[in-house]
Amino acid sequence: MPRGRRVRPGSFRLGGLWSAPVDQEVDEELAFHLEARRRRLIEQGMEQEAAHAEALRRFGDLERVRGQCRTIGQRMEAEMHRAELRFELRQDAGYALRMLRRSPLFTVVALLTLAIGIGANTAIFSVVHAVLLRALPYRAVGELVMIWNNYDGSLDHAAIAPAEFADLQERQKAFTAISAISRQQTNLTGECGSGTCEPERVTSYAVSPNFFDVLGARPLLGRTFVAEDGREGAERVAILSHALWARRFGADSSIIGRAIEMNGRPRTVVGVMPPPVRFPDAPVGFLTERAGLWLPYSWEQSRAESRGNQYLGVLARVRPGSGVARAQQDLDAIAAGFRTEHPDRYSEDMRWRILAVPLVEQMLGDARATLILLLAAVGMVLLIACANVANLMLARGTVRRKELAIRAALGAGRGRIVRQLLTESAVLTAGGSALGVLLASVGIRALARLDAANIPRLDDVRLDGTVLAFSLAIAVLTAVLFGLAPALQQSRADSHLVMKETSRSASDTRGGRRFRASLAVVEIALALVVLVGAGLLVRSFARLQRVDTGFDGTGVMSFQLALPRARYDSAAKITAFYEQLRARVAAAHGVQEAGLVYPLPMSGDGWSGSFEVEGQPVPPGQPEPHAEYAVVMPGYFRTMRIPLRMGRDFTSQDADGAPKVVIVDEELARRHWPGESAIGKRISVTGRDDDLVTVIGVVAHVHRDGPQLSGEPQLYLPLLQNAQTMVYVVARGPGSAASLAPALRREVRQLDPDLPVSRMQSMPHLVARAVARQRLSMLLLVAFGATALLLAALGLYGVMAIAVAQRESEIGIRLALGGGPAHVLRVVVRDGMKIALAGLGLGLLVALSLSRLVSGLLFEVGATDPLTYGAIFVTLLFVALVACYIPARRATRIDPVEAMRAS
Amino acid sequence: MANQTPLSLLQGTLDALILKTLSWGPRHGYAIARWLEETTHDALRIEEGSLYPALYRMQQKGWITAEWGMSELGRRAKIYSLTRRGREQLRLETSQWSHFASVVSKVLQTA
Repeated sequence: MPRGRRVRPGSFRLGGLWSAPVDQEVDEELAFHLEARRRRLIEQGMEQEAAHAEALRRFGDLERVRGQCRTIGQRMEAEMHRAELRFELRQDAGYALRMLRRSPLFTVVALLTLAIGIGANTAIFSVVHAVLLRALPYRAVGELVMIWNNYDGSLDHAAIAPAEFADLQERQKAFTAISAISRQQTNLTGECGSGTCEPERVTSYAVSPNFFDVLGARPLLGRTFVAEDGREGAERVAILSHALWARRFGADSSIIGRAIEMNGRPRTVVGVMPPPVRFPDAPVGFLTERAGLWLPYSWEQSRAESRGNQYLGVLARVRPGSGVARAQQDLDAIAAGFRTEHPDRYSEDMRWRILAVPLVEQMLGDARATLILLLAAVGMVLLIACANVANLMLARGTVRRKELAIRAALGAGRGRIVRQLLTESAVLTAGGSALGVLLASVGIRALARLDAANIPRLDDVRLDGTVLAFSLAIAVLTAVLFGLAPALQQSRADSHLVMKETSRSASDTRGGRRFRASLAVVEIALALVVLVGAGLLVRSFARLQRVDTGFDGTGVMSFQLALPRARYDSAAKITAFYEQLRARVAAAHGVQEAGLVYPLPMSGDGWSGSFEVEGQPVPPGQPEPHAEYAVVMPGYFRTMRIPLRMGRDFTSQDADGAPKVVIVDEELARRHWPGESAIGKRISVTGRDDDLVTVIGVVAHVHRDGPQLSGEPQLYLPLLQNAQTMVYVVARGPGSAASLAPALRREVRQLDPDLPVSRMQSMPHLVARAVARQRLSMLLLVAFGATALLLAALGLYGVMAIAVAQRESEIGIRLALGGGPAHVLRVVVRDGMKIALAGLGLGLLVALSLSRLVSGLLFEVGATDPLTYGAIFVTLLFVALVACYIPARRATRIDPVEAMRAS
Repeated sequence: MANQTPLSLLQGTLDALILKTLSWGPRHGYAIARWLEETTHDALRIEEGSLYPALYRMQQKGWITAEWGMSELGRRAKIYSLTRRGREQLRLETSQWSHFASVVSKVLQTA
């Protein structure tokens, strides 16, 4: 490629050199040569015919020469064309930059508008990309399913019992492999990377040895589990997550083959998984926390347990090509078998089935609806931004009509002018995108900090190539969207007419005005849609905040303990420790009340099961009553301010050996003993008739899993009669919950220095976290709504202000004829409000038709809630009125004489 | 083969000759052919047609430019002229050629 060849602007057209097709020119040139030679030969005395032949002979291979010249000529022309384009583009860009520099206000407003639109879209898309689109780090994710016990309507994703799992494993035909997972807690003590370190509790999962094969995840170091690992008596082994390995063991690869102390006993590390593998990556049913490590386990020995003992998550890989629907048929057949074999346990009436749920669907679940809503909203904001900038450009266009007309008169074609105007929008968009991506990177960081726990994989969000490609795509779309319409409009200007106009009255056409008005209509409509969405989420969130959760967590700090069974190997040791702990915590500095409980409301932990009521036998085939269970120590209800409706709280006397007792919530009491006192009634929680517990108290119902979930009836067993190793401690102080933390840690350390304290969190924090996603989507949508409102108001204001400026002389005449300022005000405002009302009407229609999109995300608020729609309508109407009033006021102050003289 | 053997052109020499021809002023392809013919007294055997691909190539390289003009025959003809870069190229090729020729003749004379 030759470089640096000069291309002088304009020169290519003047010479007409390139106006005829290259081929013709070659022919003409060669023909000239032959003709000249022929004449010369004749002059030298040759015959006509002979001269012709001789000329051709001397010329050589005519066809080859012609072919070569044409090829080179065409290549030259193409090059020149490109050079011309490049030159024009540079010229246009330079021109655009000069124009933008000359009107700094326009430039700043347009740049900011675009930056906000593109930045918000980039940020939200990066979240969508990380959460929804980027594949999970497993082989053929589409083949992975979770298998649950499904009680239609009441419990969608209930765990599987080991006995059921064993049967599934034997009978299934639709899966290449299935594996089980159950949650454990592991206390890590002893050595770690940096010498001595604090004892630590990590979330671990006991998994079938084939678990990683089912996932299709390979280890970073060492190996995954083999069948031997699950057997009883085999060497005790573990696989670490990358996070735990890096944090606690300093990413030391010699860890493989070393024994580390878990729950007081050594286990050999056989593998480390790569960073993205943290199954469950996002909450899957009751498997809510990411894994720190995995232990192999075979549930063969638990096969004999009751089928009601359901605590396994089941992960399976569907046979390739078989599909989830086929797998479901297989499970339905197995379920039918269960029914005939255990008619007492599985009945038709319970509407029970074994359900396969695609893993991706379950992990991303309702985050998908939230993100789609946000993406839709942010897309609308971008459209408004585009409409606004288009309007600005059009408005500026009326000022620039003369300039464009002059350019047209000087010979610039319409295509050339469109290209020049599009270059201007491209230059604007380039600037806007750069600012927008900057904005997005700040926003993403803020977003990740806001809420790492409640949108799955949110901490994976980053601006990567795909996200930037998306931004680029929307930037191009934006440039065309806001650039093309004004460009086409303005290039249509008839140069003769425009040149004749005086500068003051250079009004634009009727069509132009209508076009700008319709842009404003669309802006207002879109703003209404986004604001209605925001309004609905705000109302829903307000409802959520007002929910009576049944407890008052103000000033309450909580933390979790898991006693290692190696040292706490009897119920007596466990309860003795708890009694001591409760006494110490209650006496600690700053603590007013303290109690122990498992599971803690809003912690994400759950426990539920069936029970029987004395004297209320369940007819065969009917489900047993079901309740949320908890074990508590005396003082728990007082600490959490859970009102005692009847009877008494547990005391230290309700211990082993004493009569077995239970406290139920008012919901359970109402269901089973309506109209009579629950006190003294007896129920069985073990399923044995000779093992009854007596109701001694009734407390208020508590929302255990989140304010939005009212949950099942509840029953509380005394911890002292039901010793178990995992427990939460709650302590209430008069001040902030956080101030209690150091004292609480100290008490535990003094009692058992090797016992790790984990999940130290205040109750208000836990409650807020339970609705963090709702809060986040509400805040974002409100931000988008506010942006949309501002942009739309600016848009309407702009249209009206220009309309007034253009009609100055007309308004002047009206004033001169005695129309009066009030009349002028009315006329201008009426014109503006026509636009506003058209926009609002259109917006209402769009909002109503999109209401389905938001309905799944609302709590106790209808998707067509008239109050929200009304409030937003009125708000926008008022804003529109202000946007029209300001230019209308200016119109009344026009000096009639001035205006008329100018025209 | 019986008559005198005209010199065959060395690769790239044609370009230099054309540049030299144009250094006396703009002319069309046929005029270049004629000029070469007269200056060398037909000592060089050049297929006249081969001038044209060479002209196009040099035009692409930016050594010469072309414009349509009127010829002495009263027909439209494409007239080539030397650019500044073409002039530089000519200088370069001339000095390279002299160097080459002196080296070759030195070798041949000592042999």
